[in-house]
Amino acid sequence: MALLEVRNLHTHFFGREGVVHAVDGVDFDVDRGKTLGIVGESGCGKSVTALSIMGLIPRPPARIVEGSITFEGRDLTELSERELEDVRGHEIAMIFQDPMTSLNPTLKIGTQLTESLRRHLGMSKGEARRRAVELLEEVHIPNAEQRLDDYPHRYSGGMRQRVMIAMAIACNPKLLIADEPTTALDVTVQARILDLLEELRLRHDMAMILITHDMGVVAEAADEVSVMYAGQIVERAAILDLFDRPEHPYTEALLGALPQIEDERTREERLTTIPGRPPDLVNPPPACRFAPRCPYSGLGDACSVELPELREIRPAHWVRSAHPASEREEAPIEVRA
Amino acid sequence: MVVDPREAAREAPLIGAGGPGETAGAPIRQASLWQDALRRYMRNRGALIAGSVFILLLAFCIFAPIFSPYDANDADYTQTYQSPSAAHPFGTDQAGRDLLTRAALGGRVSIGIGFAATLTILLIGVAYGSVSGFIGGKLDNGLMRFLDALYGLPYLPFAIITLAIFGTVNFWTMVVALSVASWFTAARIVRGQVITLKENDYVRAAKAVGARWHRVLTRHLLPNTLGILIIAVFLELPGVILGEAFLSFIGLGINPPDASWGSMAQDGYQAYRVYPHIIVVPSVCIAILILCANFVADGLRDALDPRTRET
Amino acid sequence: MTKFVLRRLVWSIPVILLVILLTFTMMKQIGGNPFRHTERAVPESIQNNLERKFHLNDPWYLQYVEYVKNVFTFDLGPSMVLRNRTVNDIVKEQFPRSIELGALAMAFALLVGVPLGALAALKQNSAVDYGAMVAANLGFAIPSFLVATLLIYFVSLKWGLLPTSGWSSWEYKILPTIALGLGPMAYFARLARGSMLETLQQDYVRTAKAKGLRWRRIVTLHVLRNSLIPVVTAAGPLLGFLITGSFIVETIFAIPGIGKYYVTAVSARDYSVTMGLTVILALIIVLANLVVDILYGVLDPRTREART
Repeated sequence: MALLEVRNLHTHFFGREGVVHAVDGVDFDVDRGKTLGIVGESGCGKSVTALSIMGLIPRPPARIVEGSITFEGRDLTELSERELEDVRGHEIAMIFQDPMTSLNPTLKIGTQLTESLRRHLGMSKGEARRRAVELLEEVHIPNAEQRLDDYPHRYSGGMRQRVMIAMAIACNPKLLIADEPTTALDVTVQARILDLLEELRLRHDMAMILITHDMGVVAEAADEVSVMYAGQIVERAAILDLFDRPEHPYTEALLGALPQIEDERTREERLTTIPGRPPDLVNPPPACRFAPRCPYSGLGDACSVELPELREIRPAHWVRSAHPASEREEAPIEVRA
Repeated sequence: MVVDPREAAREAPLIGAGGPGETAGAPIRQASLWQDALRRYMRNRGALIAGSVFILLLAFCIFAPIFSPYDANDADYTQTYQSPSAAHPFGTDQAGRDLLTRAALGGRVSIGIGFAATLTILLIGVAYGSVSGFIGGKLDNGLMRFLDALYGLPYLPFAIITLAIFGTVNFWTMVVALSVASWFTAARIVRGQVITLKENDYVRAAKAVGARWHRVLTRHLLPNTLGILIIAVFLELPGVILGEAFLSFIGLGINPPDASWGSMAQDGYQAYRVYPHIIVVPSVCIAILILCANFVADGLRDALDPRTRET
Repeated sequence: MTKFVLRRLVWSIPVILLVILLTFTMMKQIGGNPFRHTERAVPESIQNNLERKFHLNDPWYLQYVEYVKNVFTFDLGPSMVLRNRTVNDIVKEQFPRSIELGALAMAFALLVGVPLGALAALKQNSAVDYGAMVAANLGFAIPSFLVATLLIYFVSLKWGLLPTSGWSSWEYKILPTIALGLGPMAYFARLARGSMLETLQQDYVRTAKAKGLRWRRIVTLHVLRNSLIPVVTAAGPLLGFLITGSFIVETIFAIPGIGKYYVTAVSARDYSVTMGLTVILALIIVLANLVVDILYGVLDPRTREART
């Protein structure tokens, strides 16, 4: 059994203008010690999925309307708030995108580190402080002992993200969810943070869900990838298989949009962009949501009326499309942009 | 060529999604800042009600005395201390004068003083704040230090002293007295605005293209500050009106027989133990005005906040 | 930290000097020599003596210097109208009552207003929230003289629960405290609610939740502390409001305090009393702002390092 099994997750936001179907039928598994990457553009529902797993969606406007999230055999959607509080930070941890605002500016770093240690592991003040120093050293922050008494504004962005990571792994969680952990950082710092995450993951035997819009990050860090679009998963495969033989037109476009430095010829080609915009999620059409932007769908196709199923086109490679790459004959229709 | 029906059926996103037959990237009509703000304001029920009540109150003050059968200053000693009735909806005061008419007239004075003082405060504040903020540097530093010092001035005592200097209390002396020690916050807000906008990227962009500084000021800085100023008017108004009421209440009000809500309250205070309606009437008027002004200010703030705009 | 406090203290001095100067200048403008306007004529020779004693014939800057000297030695001079009382006497007698009233009102405002606002924020859009905000808005809009008179009318006169005037024992203090403190309470409630709501949206609250901390701890440690910052900042200027409000409340409740005295002093052209009282009031405001600044430094470590 996988560590985390998400089945048919639907998370909706109930607002004055209507119901936003932010996550509309998502399934995936995360195995122990493995990294799952979730890729997609802004607004596709990847963050909401992560927040749903943690039970952190803002409860008045949002709600999990359907589906199950099974972690080590327990369905998280059935737990009370108090039980969820026990799981969060201890079994499942999460780090967020913007390190500059994710730390409390009026509390010392030490306090913010030790509070989860004392909460979940019942450590005394002294024990917690010692452990906090170890954690800071693990994430390669120099002068850890003194740094504990500093306030966040004394830390740079990269360092703050390291602190966030330290806080997350403090109680040895089995699963770490990283929501765009490198997006707000410089490119050079990005690489180091990803390395750090990998190092920690191996040492603590953690599973990880890595959420990003950057295919490059995913290529670097994930074992398996799910591609999300408009609240649904449109393709899922092992990392190498996805990059070698992508099936879904959207994935192909995403990969085509990556700057390549490989050889003369590829460098001269233009970056492809995907014309158009994702659909409005308030009343999603019953059809394939990518169809209006898809170079392979035309008028009268089944996919413009009916949503394709997520099917296993190859062993361990799933796709939700009526026109996956391996089944295509004709050349693409030009999308008039 | 055929327009895809599903394209047409679906709600159009903000920028054309570009299916067959539609140009992607074509922007839709962008409403101007003010139209958008007005529309958003209208959607805010609380602010809308407050705004309407405010206008109604103004209308009452302006028109009621014109249509009233009573003259506000006509003393009729046979009718003193009447409770509210059909003949006198608000009752009468200690000299038999109709309270409804007096309330309306008093409103003219109070609201008039309120707006005049608020505008004065803003003028001083804008002048001080924009000079300080725009020129910046040492001058800004010095002016702000001075302002910090001024914050120590207790506002009511200084208003009282100002009135004493003038010797009499009329409309204009009251306006000056109320403004003298109240403009500091406005100056600070304006300065803050000016500095933010000065450093703003689009101002830099304008400068980079070589726009002259006064053009930068009028085209870029002022329109944005205007919104803040309008809100500031509605935020300062309650304080000023209360100030006038307080001053009148302690005896430093507009000379009789003219009345303001504050002086009416003072009149009513003499007899409140037996005839509470005399003090209640002007006080409720003041309270309504303050409530409306606060809600309108909140509504305006929400309507004009660029961060929550959808377009 | 101490450097921060010291810097603030030192900075208060020019402020006080400036306040004295301004008050002094304005008082001079009122004009009129108090000694020539009294009902009982004062003999010429005595007048000259008095004028010399009060330096009324010296150029204004000398008078100013003289006055400043006096202020710092706590000598505010004699009353110019009430011959046998000095300003210090008046202050010593009346001021404590006003201070007590002000302190009680402020305590009431904070202890009732902040929790009310915080509760409203935590239960946003519920009945509690709406009720609290309606109460707050009303409390803020209704002028204190109406609140005071209504309180007296109902509580004292109609129901006979509490006395109507005076300041002897604790029963006398309840109504004036409420009358004076209601406005500030409403203000704090709205402020606290707004501030809490904003803090609740912050990313670091989300982080705290993600760490699985108990909600109560998150609220008390992470949320409340940060929300209090704007509340504390507002407390300083609010003191000015309390002072002005006290003039009214003291009058209505017949409390022998500074407020009542102030107006009489001004109309009677009693220079020294007016000046003395104004200076003291200003001193209090400066002091209060100083305390607020320091509190701000305690609550928000970022400000301690920064500029000035």
